[in-house]
Amino acid sequence: MQENQPIIEIKHLTKIYRGSNKPAINNISLDIQPGEIYGLLGPNGAGKTTTISILCGLFDPTAGNVFIDGMDYTHSSEKIKSIIGVVPQDIALYPSLTAKENLTFFGHLYGLKGKNLSNRINECLELFGLEKTANRKIKTYSGGMKRRINLIAGILHKPKLIFLDEPTVGVDVQSRNVILEHLRNINKEGATLIYTSHYMEEAENFCTRVAIIDEGNIITEGRPKDLIKNNKEYKDLESMFLHLTGKALRDE
Amino acid sequence: MLRLLSSIYKEFLVLIRDRAGLAILFLMPLVLILIMTLIQDATFKTVKDANISMILVNNDRDSLGEAIRKGLIESDFFEIVEEFDGVKITEEMAKEAVAQGKFKIGIIIPERATEAIRGNVNALINKSFKTFDIPGVKKRTKKSTVNIIIYIDPATSYSFKNSVMSSLKEFTSQLEIKMFFKNFSLALAEMFPDQKAVEFESFETIKYQEIYASTTNSEILPNSVQHNVPAWTMFAMFFIVLPLAGNIIKERDEGSAFRLKTMPGSYVTVMFSKIFIFLVVSFLQFLLMLMVGLYILPAMGLPQLEIGPHKIALALLAISSGLAATGLGVAIGTIATTHEQSSTFGAVLIIIFAALGGIWVPIYVMPHTMRIFSQFSPLNWGLSGFYDIFLRNGNLLTVLPEMMKLLFFFAVMLMIAIGYNKIHRSK
Repeated sequence: MQENQPIIEIKHLTKIYRGSNKPAINNISLDIQPGEIYGLLGPNGAGKTTTISILCGLFDPTAGNVFIDGMDYTHSSEKIKSIIGVVPQDIALYPSLTAKENLTFFGHLYGLKGKNLSNRINECLELFGLEKTANRKIKTYSGGMKRRINLIAGILHKPKLIFLDEPTVGVDVQSRNVILEHLRNINKEGATLIYTSHYMEEAENFCTRVAIIDEGNIITEGRPKDLIKNNKEYKDLESMFLHLTGKALRDE
Repeated sequence: MLRLLSSIYKEFLVLIRDRAGLAILFLMPLVLILIMTLIQDATFKTVKDANISMILVNNDRDSLGEAIRKGLIESDFFEIVEEFDGVKITEEMAKEAVAQGKFKIGIIIPERATEAIRGNVNALINKSFKTFDIPGVKKRTKKSTVNIIIYIDPATSYSFKNSVMSSLKEFTSQLEIKMFFKNFSLALAEMFPDQKAVEFESFETIKYQEIYASTTNSEILPNSVQHNVPAWTMFAMFFIVLPLAGNIIKERDEGSAFRLKTMPGSYVTVMFSKIFIFLVVSFLQFLLMLMVGLYILPAMGLPQLEIGPHKIALALLAISSGLAATGLGVAIGTIATTHEQSSTFGAVLIIIFAALGGIWVPIYVMPHTMRIFSQFSPLNWGLSGFYDIFLRNGNLLTVLPEMMKLLFFFAVMLMIAIGYNKIHRSK
């Protein structure tokens, strides 16, 4: 990787789903630097999930290019997948397996094994306060516990780039604090975080930079503090978000 | 390799922790094969031992009526009912009882039926010996018809009806021959007084010898077990499509598939681990059903399944069938978007494949067009292979074409699943 090379380069990215005449993403371009906590904010159906799905290699774009750490999915799909970690919005785990069994399975898929894997699993479980319940089946976990284990499954292999799709949705304040605190620590250790959320206050405090997306377009982009400072009529990110995206209800 | 082994272990854990699902996977095929073999055993024995009740209204009370009555009783197939609560059954009562479905068949032998037959025989003899006046034989040249009425329950199967009809025709023709012979003998005695009239003696001049054709010295005898065990084993093995497709859809619904697709090399690894685990399950199902044929069915009074000497061919054919079934499951699970879609489509497709494959109705009795379609049913390929081994003493070389077709089907199904995923990526 060249010095100052963005970890994510998005160039004129467009996605039009088959059967739709409206683009889900409309010619967006963006650079994200290593070590950032970048927030993709927008109402339902704005294009956040489509953007993340393309960045994770799940979909091909209709037009434009995406480079992850200087590589693209056409030529280096496997390499990219080994340096990214994904924390989906849904609890993407096997409910009939225990937390340890889930993490061992996902760890093996990332190529971790033996003592390294078991040490790493124990370390993560301890960090997120789940060491005592590690041998319980996921289906017996509370919502907050499931969210934390869902997060661990995405960071187990110490990825350079982590995609977090609403990682704190539906959890209590305690779980949210634990999750955000550890994500900050992971970021301090060098990982870049791409984060989506509907919690504007959380995004304002957590992200180093945000982009507000609506109808597939980036409406505004920058450091949260700068965005508020440069637009004095908004007292916080939420009031700015509502002003830019409107108050009308949105469906997916 | 570690990824594949770990995926297989994960699939194993998911499978064994679904106790209800596991019970369905193994118990249902067991129940299916037991019930179907027991039911079909009755048809295989051509309604023998079934002892079906039948109404007989004998208004003739002479040789014909008695011959039919005796023949039906001696056949052991039927239980003859002639009275309801001590009251002799009339034609009207018989018709009503059959119409109400209380009896499958009611036979009405008309009055003077024997006399009519006798008259017909005499007419024939008189015609042959016009110049003689035979004292025992009445002068008659006019022929009359005997109408035996048979009331049939509309729900009666075609084959059962045919079986009864053929028995009746046999009894009446025997009687006709007997009468003809008796009167003919009388006529001859009249013509040649020195010649003593001979008694009619039934003698089987033509005998049928049934030999099951085989190119080897096979001693395997076809019976309901030899036919039914492979047929229902194939059918049950293909039902693995439903849990496998359900497993893929569940993984997608729960979000794990999303995570797996963002991980290195995982899609193919995970699919192969699913195929492996479900292949093992289908093979265990196969072994279980062989055990049923070997031990449980004989304990229930049915013949024991003869596996024959070609066990490797049998195992490889079972694995090929299992692969075809798992391939179909992967394709359906990949394409279907909901459990409802996969379970309805999967179940109906298997039933269509089974029908075309000759599980219920032998392919040779199907119409020409259906016989062409049946060539494309994987159940037909598997079943033909099993019949080759179980009934024709076939070996690995004999079943190789069927195995190749099953493996080709598996490959095509996998390509469909992979192709669909690629299309879905660029949707």
